[in-house]
Amino acid sequence: MRAWHVQLNPIIVKEVRTRMRGMRPYLILTGFLVLLALTGLGIYQLMLQQARFGGTVLSAQVGQALFRGLSFVELLLIIMLAPALTSATISSEREQLTYDMLMATPLRPGQLLWGKLLAALSYLFLLIFASLPVFSIVLVFGGVEPRALVKTVALLLVTTVTFGAIGLFCSSLFRRTARATTVAYLLVVLLIGIPLLIGAVWGQFSNPPGQPPPPMLYYLNPLSALFAVTTIEPGVIEGGFDPGMMPFIAFDFSTGGLPFLHLLSSGVIFYGPAGVVVIPIYRATLIGYSLMTVLLCWMSAHLVLPHRRWQLRWTDLGFALLLIGLVVIAYLTYGWWYLVPPPLVMGPAG
Amino acid sequence: MNPAIETINLSRRYGRMIALDQLNLRVERGSIYGFIGPNGAGKTTTLRLLAGLLEPSSGEIRLSGQRLVPGSGQRLVGYMPDFFGVYDDLRVWEYLDFFARCYGIPSDRRSRTVDELLSLVDLSSKRTAYVQTLSRGMQQRLCLAHALVHNPPVLLLDEPASGLDPRARVELRELLRTLREMDKTVVLSSHILSELAEICTEIGIIESGKMVISGPVDEVRRQLQGGAQLRIRVLHSVEQAEIVLRGLVGTASETLPHVRNVRLAPTEERTLIIELDEADETLQTRLLHYLIGQGLAISEFRAQAENLEELFLRLTAGE
Repeated sequence: MRAWHVQLNPIIVKEVRTRMRGMRPYLILTGFLVLLALTGLGIYQLMLQQARFGGTVLSAQVGQALFRGLSFVELLLIIMLAPALTSATISSEREQLTYDMLMATPLRPGQLLWGKLLAALSYLFLLIFASLPVFSIVLVFGGVEPRALVKTVALLLVTTVTFGAIGLFCSSLFRRTARATTVAYLLVVLLIGIPLLIGAVWGQFSNPPGQPPPPMLYYLNPLSALFAVTTIEPGVIEGGFDPGMMPFIAFDFSTGGLPFLHLLSSGVIFYGPAGVVVIPIYRATLIGYSLMTVLLCWMSAHLVLPHRRWQLRWTDLGFALLLIGLVVIAYLTYGWWYLVPPPLVMGPAG
Repeated sequence: MNPAIETINLSRRYGRMIALDQLNLRVERGSIYGFIGPNGAGKTTTLRLLAGLLEPSSGEIRLSGQRLVPGSGQRLVGYMPDFFGVYDDLRVWEYLDFFARCYGIPSDRRSRTVDELLSLVDLSSKRTAYVQTLSRGMQQRLCLAHALVHNPPVLLLDEPASGLDPRARVELRELLRTLREMDKTVVLSSHILSELAEICTEIGIIESGKMVISGPVDEVRRQLQGGAQLRIRVLHSVEQAEIVLRGLVGTASETLPHVRNVRLAPTEERTLIIELDEADETLQTRLLHYLIGQGLAISEFRAQAENLEELFLRLTAGE
């Protein structure tokens, strides 16, 4: 009787062996953490400056600003690194002429694909988890709910997987790494930049003019999603809202004192008759990214095949079931993630 | 007994271009089969088809009598591509360990397999070196070792000697001999005949996707030559010898061989090359008697073996 044995995916073993070899991975990790630490320091100095110039800065606000700033920088770094780390995975095998040698072994293309993806993502996850001690500085100042922290980490992880899948898809599609990387970044820019651009001019073309863009426009923009995660809905009191109950936003302090972030408020913050409403668009982002990841991996699983690329296989059944499952979940939770903003009122009260 | 490899009317098209046209190949077990042809003749396509990396447009492949279906032949063949890649950032043992894992070799056997292969290809001393630090010849041997990691009965080597220096070529030849002793069937391709002539037991010449001739080396040589060439050296008066021999050209004699042509050897003095219609040794002996009888002082008389290179050029020149 043949002995049964569990074996790790050879691609993961190889990638893990080589990925942490040499100076580069440690330099990236160090650079990543230094950048985060400098961001934290910069935000703290900004808060100090605001206090020096007469502003009232609560300790909780410092904590919130730090948390928000660090999350955004971390997300930006992930967005930049994830496609770079995965867009070479398959194309480099083709360029190095090792692809044929791998395909001549019993290793299945699917194993190659998920081994590569998992190995690249594990390095990115390492970056995320290595940055948690930097985030712990927030605890010194307080003001951040643990739920916000969990949501932020979840969003970071999901974004990592999706943007990694974009790189993987491009790497499977193109034979040259340079082309795969360029197209991957182009997709990233489209995903982030286009909604922001459309949102910026929406009011000028809407009827009547001056309407805010719909949240739907920003569903797949991770920056908007993070803005929604790190913005806590203000307390609503009868007949209006109470600025004192707003832990995260104030109208002259709407982004926790951080520059540029107000650009991301469109599609997320709406001024309704009952006060300020924060649309949790990250819910739709999570669902959209899950669907996108499955679709990209599905296409990559076909593109990586050496021949008969688009012939149906058993794995297609698995992908199809997963996709149908996600669509069903999205349908059943429609009311949870599809939120319509309140009708427009002209500017905030008070 | 089934041959190690058999192809039946194997064809492969790339769009409109026919890369391989109705190839019928038969490679016996334990033989070293040399696949020869100019660049673009279809050698690599054939080897990739045999390795299961390409699907035939028509026809079929049988390995040890079993029909090859996509994804079924990986354990039966070891494949080394013409332009092979190596993972530069891996150590030599890790490289083989990685491929051993790809073939699902269990951990208790993996380490032993790696050591045995390194010893076979004489790279034991480089076990912990990075692959990128190896010379081209060493990388070639390492790549060959990777193809052997699952101990396949058939090895497919695409242009294994290309880019190697003379010493590395000799080492490769020795390695191929060892593999033959291990009862492996080896199919290797080359566009340089001299690489294959010494080591192969069988050769096949392919051109424009069609097999021109195939069989044991001597048989192919005999078939291609069609007759024989004699090399005669005289002590003096090569002119007289030439006159005597030219007198035999075109004459129909029962006792002497039919001389097709006589020419002076281009590089050697007092030497003539005589082309005969047949390779009958009795008739050649009679010719020697006849020449001595004509008063020629012959210091050397032997059959001139036309090398494969010339045969190949002759065979493919008219295409």
